[in-house]
Amino acid sequence: MKLPVLLRLLRDPGLVPKLSLPEWDLALRQATSVNLTPSLLALIEARGLLEQVPAQPRAQFEWVRALATRHRQAVRFEVDCIRAALAPVAAPLLLLKGAAYAMAGLRAGEGRLFGDIDILVPKARLVEIESALMLHGWITTKLDAYDQRYYREWMHELPPMQHMRRRSSIDVHHAILPETAPVRPDPDKLRAGARPVSGSGGLLATLSPCDMVLHSAVHLFFDGEFDKGLRDLLDLHRLLEEFGAEPGFWDALPARARELELSRPLFYALRYSRRLLGTTIPQAVLDAVAAAAPHPLVRALMDALFERALLPMHASCDDALTGPARFVLYVRGNWLRMPPLMLARHLFHKAFISKKDAPQAA
Amino acid sequence: MTASETWCLRPGQTLQYRHWDDEYVLYNDLSGDTHLLGDAAIELLRVLKAGPASRQALAAVLEAQFDIDPLELDQETGELLRHLQHLYFIEPVPDNRADVPAC
Amino acid sequence: MLTVASLTRAQLAARLGGAGLLVQTGAFVSRIQSPIHSVADGIALLYGDYPLHGADGFADFHVGLRPSGGMRRWYRPQVSFDLDGQQPFEPLPQAHAFPMLEWGLNWCISTRAHAWLMIHAAVVERDGLAAILPAPPGSGKSTLCAALVHRGWRLLSDELALLRPEDGLLVPVPRPVSLKNRSIEVIRGFVADAVLSQPVSNTTKGTVAHLKAPADSVARAHETARPAWIVFPKYEAGAATSLTPIPRARAFFRVADNAFNYSHMGARGFNALAGTIERCASYDFRYSDLDEAMALFAALERPRT
Repeated sequence: MKLPVLLRLLRDPGLVPKLSLPEWDLALRQATSVNLTPSLLALIEARGLLEQVPAQPRAQFEWVRALATRHRQAVRFEVDCIRAALAPVAAPLLLLKGAAYAMAGLRAGEGRLFGDIDILVPKARLVEIESALMLHGWITTKLDAYDQRYYREWMHELPPMQHMRRRSSIDVHHAILPETAPVRPDPDKLRAGARPVSGSGGLLATLSPCDMVLHSAVHLFFDGEFDKGLRDLLDLHRLLEEFGAEPGFWDALPARARELELSRPLFYALRYSRRLLGTTIPQAVLDAVAAAAPHPLVRALMDALFERALLPMHASCDDALTGPARFVLYVRGNWLRMPPLMLARHLFHKAFISKKDAPQAA
Repeated sequence: MTASETWCLRPGQTLQYRHWDDEYVLYNDLSGDTHLLGDAAIELLRVLKAGPASRQALAAVLEAQFDIDPLELDQETGELLRHLQHLYFIEPVPDNRADVPAC
Repeated sequence: MLTVASLTRAQLAARLGGAGLLVQTGAFVSRIQSPIHSVADGIALLYGDYPLHGADGFADFHVGLRPSGGMRRWYRPQVSFDLDGQQPFEPLPQAHAFPMLEWGLNWCISTRAHAWLMIHAAVVERDGLAAILPAPPGSGKSTLCAALVHRGWRLLSDELALLRPEDGLLVPVPRPVSLKNRSIEVIRGFVADAVLSQPVSNTTKGTVAHLKAPADSVARAHETARPAWIVFPKYEAGAATSLTPIPRARAFFRVADNAFNYSHMGARGFNALAGTIERCASYDFRYSDLDEAMALFAALERPRT
């Protein structure tokens, strides 16, 4: 399988001096389509290779530098506001995904842009937490009665809340998979494994390294929408590369996956991270998760689906099957999260209400 | 609010500003917002940059440097402090924390 | 370097209809594709002086103006602006294709080029010093800009002031000047050999036409300029020509309000704008007579800092 030039660069930033100008043109277009240009800049700079990027593509990297800096500043500030609002009811504040990577200074967070702050809280304290947020200026969104029920009864999170003044968004999770999913990794176990964020005075925390990887895997492989697929795969890749250097991580990972019943998503995560981004994974770990592999025919089907859906959403990366692949995975994603009867209702409801508002050109 | 309440600059504020004519344009390092402020507000921020201060002490600074009706002093000080808090420049130090790790 | 004018009309149409025409406008290279005749006409008329890049060159923006409209394409043809597979805008009547190209390119720059503090303003320069003319629509900024660049001033841009935070210099992106309604005739009268595109009526901005940028401005598109004046123009029929200084703090916020990306630029943006405000003299400018306006601009003095 010939990989798109963006993936070749992400796998090996050492390719920088070897790319031709047309390859740079394509790489940046692919990166733009999935909002990964700032991440690519971070990877290239970490290798000290920015000077070797030709002038024109180099200029485009400078276009995104300001965005990454501003985003990091906004995340720090927003996390601090949330921490202050929830101090009486949720301390330490447990951050998930992008906010976690950013505040813990992980490589996965460098140049990574995202829209919402995600936090994990005990289900028993949801009411207090929602109240505390409202007291400090957040209001619930998704006011349609169906949507409210969707979130509160079936999902693992409150409807997203938005801050009135700052317009920033927060997603309050009480588990990492919905109530309706076939596996229910125990959130108490996740919280018990949490690590403090150094330098936060014990006020902020993230999941443990294994749990962060598993959460990312779950998020990617149980979800149905892949517009951020490559970004999430890159997260996995960078998390594995960083934590892989920590003693004990590789031994603990398959065991923790078994404990949380997440061996199948881990299997897929390791498989596609290695095949698409060249992540270095010890053979012993691959052997340990092999038991969780699906039937070879299913695996072949999943390869065909995921290895299309995880590519940049750019015409240069599509083939005739890309559209159908994304559709199949969308349905599968919802299937995995909801029982059949509810699925039909959900898809129907979502399709029925669709708003289209594109801005005017002039 | 009481006279003994203590205020401090939110950690991370470097107070970058420009002073033109009688007006101050100030950049907030935390929120990323930019504000137009008057001398009294800037003076309070300058004092707090040196270290936490009580509301009483801040009122005294304002009284010494600005032409404020003594009867209005407490209210004006309170309003200025609330305004600066609202803009995410300063925060109150909780009474039950004798030492102030955040500041 | 070859320019667009080196192509025959047939070659131009072939590139636009095929793999695309790569044209450089100051700091940016755009790859343009479109089978629509009026787009080729507009480019042939107004983009002759601009450097042409080869098919395997690097382009910052990959834009297409494509016929759209489904069933409607036979009796009410439309045009859609395509930015590398995305359509950020609703389609427009096909007659608006060339203006849509211009608006689309401005949008591309103003939403992405965050290496610079970008202000919605015209920028003109003479004797090494530049005037930034920020203005909301309807202020007469473009008319003033079009006139100035035919009375001794160089055009850096009629829409986008690109301010470099490192050194406070302005980066040119000289493209055709967009004119609306009355000002089309005013400029036709004011500029002896004005090259104007065919006016397009009934757009959301009224009747729109584009004026070719002076060849000298295009030739000097790599030359930065130091800002010396910030002038907020306001055309008012019958008004006396007047120039009123603006206090610095007020000027700061008024310029920030007219910037596309002030908030994105963080502390660097703050310092870049503050430095510019300090080095420039800022004014409100009211006028009704173009000749008087020209004389006033010619008499602007280097600010004392």
